[in-house]
Amino acid sequence: MPTDAQSELAQIQNWMQSFLISPEPNPVKAADFINDSSRLSAARHLNIYRQSYIARLRECMKNQFSALNYALGEELFQMFAEQYLDAYPSNSYTLNNLGKNFPSYLEETRPDAESEEKESWIDFIIALANFEFSLSEIFDEHAEEEIVLADDSAPDEALKLVRVFHLFQHPYPVCRYYLDVVKKKNPELPFEENTWCAVTRCHYRLGLLEINPAQYFFLEKLRRGLSVEEAKIYTIRKFSLDPKKFENLWYMWRKSFIDSNFFHYK
Amino acid sequence: MNKEVSPGSIKNLPNPGLGLGLRSKHFNYILENNPEIDWFEIISENFMDSGGRPKHVLRRIAERYPVAMHGVSLSIGSADELNIEYLKKLKNLAAEINPLWISDHLCWTGINNLNSHDLLPLPLNEESLKHACRKINKAQDFLERPLVFENPSTYLTFKLSTISEWDFLRFMTEETNCGILLDVNNVYVSAFNNDFDAAHYIEQLPHESIVQMHIAGHRNCGDYIIDTHDNFVAPEVWKLFSRAWNLTGGAAVLLEWDSEIPDFDAYHSELLKAKNFMNVVTDIQEFNEEKKYQFEVVSNPLDFLVTDVIHELNR
Repeated sequence: MPTDAQSELAQIQNWMQSFLISPEPNPVKAADFINDSSRLSAARHLNIYRQSYIARLRECMKNQFSALNYALGEELFQMFAEQYLDAYPSNSYTLNNLGKNFPSYLEETRPDAESEEKESWIDFIIALANFEFSLSEIFDEHAEEEIVLADDSAPDEALKLVRVFHLFQHPYPVCRYYLDVVKKKNPELPFEENTWCAVTRCHYRLGLLEINPAQYFFLEKLRRGLSVEEAKIYTIRKFSLDPKKFENLWYMWRKSFIDSNFFHYK
Repeated sequence: MNKEVSPGSIKNLPNPGLGLGLRSKHFNYILENNPEIDWFEIISENFMDSGGRPKHVLRRIAERYPVAMHGVSLSIGSADELNIEYLKKLKNLAAEINPLWISDHLCWTGINNLNSHDLLPLPLNEESLKHACRKINKAQDFLERPLVFENPSTYLTFKLSTISEWDFLRFMTEETNCGILLDVNNVYVSAFNNDFDAAHYIEQLPHESIVQMHIAGHRNCGDYIIDTHDNFVAPEVWKLFSRAWNLTGGAAVLLEWDSEIPDFDAYHSELLKAKNFMNVVTDIQEFNEEKKYQFEVVSNPLDFLVTDVIHELNR
């Protein structure tokens, strides 16, 4: 808060900030506070800041939500981003938090909020926004990465999940869609489909892999600290699997997980 | 400045030579090629909270090169008090990488705990000077080191201003023993936008307090100029730089390039042009304004500060 709410400095900064970040017109005119120059009126001088404020933060939002920008299209994304920035101006010293409330803002302002029947594409958009912001957090989360990755020769009892390891489940193929955008495959908006994925960071590189519900269950057990053997038992029980057949399945899972850098040596 | 910070400390700071801004686009190139750069400047906020690759890369680069920390969120001119959490993180980062110095801008970024993420101009008068100096002293005491402040690019002047920017900076240095980061391009941009003489501005500064200079590109929008950092340094700015170089007797030089960032070699080549403007007599009376007008450009582009995960997945 201002040290002296009545100071001229606080007054002028409050006025200028409200002009920059608020869509409402301010009754105080620019010419009351700002000088004309030989080329520009006071109002045009001030407008340079308003235009740059919007354009700068819109670009940051676009960088943080690249796949969402693709899914919505540039025009619609910009409209949502601008409305969001008006509703949730930044209160952080870092721009990496700029989009933190964007998914919840999209949920709060969904056009079908009042109707009983929800439009599915909006659910997808919100899920995608959540996923993208999570990825930006995972990319930079604190974790020691001086680890030795497991290879095919590692015994099961030596396997441990890498330190940055997150699991997601979505009612849409969010991860697949995201990866298709990354690979510039121009994906269409997807239909409803329950999907599961794992996101890892290993030696500071992100990895995304779609998995099936049994794998999700198994990996979630490992994430909670269970051993491979314990997680196997829970998975067999949960999905009523034949233990012998599961060993064959585990052989394939294990190879896929090791190839995807899910494990390091304990 | 309070007694904890030695009054002579700014004068003891080294001149590391010609430096470049450290940008994620060049991380791999730098780590793999060890280019012959005198020093790097980092944006402090990019690394303060990082627990991933940015911090990992910074640690490795700081082992090989001198690094200066340049911030955009200290908001020394805001009527708000200093953000102590922010200062703690700044101090922790400094303890980790031992920077040449820590700099920020003579500006405010927001009030009532909001952040516009722009470097907004201050009304320059006795009240704001006293306020800024009090906050500078407090920040320097907290960080236990002198700070260096950059003149921002400005697009307006206030009716409440009674002190010129060059005098404001001079008084700041006298009251707090802080240093000055003279952004030559910002002087040119502000002078064009606000009808003052850029050469006079530079001549009036306390040259002994100038620790570092910035050079950068800008865009001419016809009626005004925007500080875009997306372009080569303009000839008029090189001329001003030459004058500043002579007046200061030489200071650390850094080329900023924050949007449409070229590959490392092109970036480095533009920096090396600075050598052609050192210790030469340049006539700075004749400024030919650029005729190539650009519209819809952004001042102080910051999108490079946001993690681009898709780029990281493709690297």
